Amino acid sequence: MRRGTMIAVAVIALGVSGVWAYQRVPSPVEEVVHWREIAWPFPRDGWPAGRAFRCDGTCAGAELYVRAKRGFCNCDSGVADDDEVDRVADIDLISPRFAAVAPGEEVSFNELRGRARRYDLDMSDGVGHAAIGVAVSRRCDLFVAAAQGRGEASGMQRAMLAFLETQEMRGWVLATLDGQ
Amino acid sequence: MFRCVLTAAGLVLFASSTFVHAQKQTIGAPPEASNMKLVGTNDLQARSAYQPTIHHQGDRWIAYIGHHGGTDDVPVPVNPMTGKEEPNGTSIVDVTDPAHPKYLRHLPGQEGKYESGGAQMVRVCDGKSLPKGDPNAVYMLRTFGSEAHEIWNVADPANPVLITRIAGLKDTHKSWWECDTGIAFLVSGAPDWRTRRMTQIYDFSDPAHPQKIRDFGLPGQEPGATGAVPTELHGPISTGPNGNRVFFGYGTNKGGILQIVDRDKLLNGPKEPTPDNLRYPEISRMPMSAFNGAHTTFPMLDMPVAEFAEDKDGKTRDIVMIVDEAILNECGEARQMVWFADVTTETRPMMISSYTVPEASGQFCQRGGRFGSHSSNESMAPVYYKKMAFIAFFNAGVRALDIRDPYHPREVGYFIPSITSATDKRCIPIEGGARCKVAIQTNNVETDDRGYIYIVDRANTGLHILELTGPARAAAGLPRN
Repeated sequence: MRRGTMIAVAVIALGVSGVWAYQRVPSPVEEVVHWREIAWPFPRDGWPAGRAFRCDGTCAGAELYVRAKRGFCNCDSGVADDDEVDRVADIDLISPRFAAVAPGEEVSFNELRGRARRYDLDMSDGVGHAAIGVAVSRRCDLFVAAAQGRGEASGMQRAMLAFLETQEMRGWVLATLDGQ
Repeated sequence: MFRCVLTAAGLVLFASSTFVHAQKQTIGAPPEASNMKLVGTNDLQARSAYQPTIHHQGDRWIAYIGHHGGTDDVPVPVNPMTGKEEPNGTSIVDVTDPAHPKYLRHLPGQEGKYESGGAQMVRVCDGKSLPKGDPNAVYMLRTFGSEAHEIWNVADPANPVLITRIAGLKDTHKSWWECDTGIAFLVSGAPDWRTRRMTQIYDFSDPAHPQKIRDFGLPGQEPGATGAVPTELHGPISTGPNGNRVFFGYGTNKGGILQIVDRDKLLNGPKEPTPDNLRYPEISRMPMSAFNGAHTTFPMLDMPVAEFAEDKDGKTRDIVMIVDEAILNECGEARQMVWFADVTTETRPMMISSYTVPEASGQFCQRGGRFGSHSSNESMAPVYYKKMAFIAFFNAGVRALDIRDPYHPREVGYFIPSITSATDKRCIPIEGGARCKVAIQTNNVETDDRGYIYIVDRANTGLHILELTGPARAAAGLPRN
């Protein structure tokens, strides 16, 4: 009986520690990515400025720009197609010369739905960059995110979406869509 | 002493009640007006309204009024004339006696809510004025939600007959139709273009047999383009073959552009939508502030300006009135207003003046709904053309401007209708929910050749027919009423 109890305790302890250890192991993205806030780098345009971040870690040098665009007209259909992403996702702020590399895909975060699309950017310094544009909507309002860097696009997209899902960003996204 | 206290308390009470009154409209309160008077009303079956077009056919005056889609609360309103639910479409109202408008027919539109349904836009031409039209017909061009343009014969306005349908679009909006040539500038979303709204030009001189002329837009919007996509079209206005200009307004409340286009080159130039071909008919383009869009670009060419009468040159000016559209409720954006551009030197257009309703004159940012401009009358009938302009200003009602000196436009009258039980609420998001208010949302305005002014409400309050009074009437050169 005592031996059985000890085995059971050992099994439970191992299990608990295993779960703890599993939870402590960061996902590949979290392990090496940190987005550090920087100043909004673009001149004033029709929409209020948003927030900008630079990546430290495996996507070092990549930058992310996010902001709300309140008063989007397609209140019911939302972000309906890839052309909409081309128009609204702020990729043109980074460079007016961009080309989509593939059809976009549906994305959702923070209960917002829309589309993401990858682009090649023709930068003024002649160095090619990859970019991801994301546009999601809530009723008549848009939230857009654009990331760009020299790294690989799919990793950058995972990192930006993971960042937008963090508690801090979730709260800010909803507040900015409320006009706060 | 006690009397002084009572007087002070009374003053405070009066001031606060006035303030509250100015902030909030209440059912049963009278309209707010200056130099404009209500003649008649119709509730338009409590449908959200966009473009009114008033047409003189035979000995009758008929108002054709486009509607947005339904609302969250009432997606498909009941037509009391049929007892059936009908998606918002086109209201047809006999306004021959403006004091007693008679609702003739509701023509259903596309099912859908707000801008995703309805039949917002409407223009009307007589068959006898079109080069190859049926002289006995009266043709109504309307949008059908976001998917089609339609032409109906409304010679019997109570019993319209469908003639033509151009479908397969991803959006539609504020079109223009030349009644003397039949050329129509349709605002569409052609499926392969990169923008929601661009121009599809058709020859509707024979409405039963429409001929496509070309697609048009700003370079970068065409199929296959890459890079930044220019601001989408809102609406064009053509001066016809004699004026040979089309004035395109791009944008709603942001990144507006006035584009001046040579009509002949547009219609007869190379039509393949390449960047060079799209640039070919353009005379000039005036970008506006990123804060403002161009909903309406209303040309008033060859205007005599009294101040310049003694000048050796430039006595008359070509003016375009540009009206932005406010989108967000309770002043959640930069002010959308009215601008006047001098385009006399066409390649160097210049903004010369502006107009807005003073916010403090009615605490309009606190009243609820949108505050700012939306659209102007577009009739070029002599009764008001180049003299008086009427601006729909959402919760500030309609504003009458004396524009005889476009360098110094001056408000001479206004009318803010009373709300009714049909007036829909307007909400803004607040933490964890929404806060709603009810206010007039005067969306569009048009005039007829008799001088009546027709305003319609986006928040379902219906149609109000107005006339000028007092100094505003004198400024327009109308006889005293």
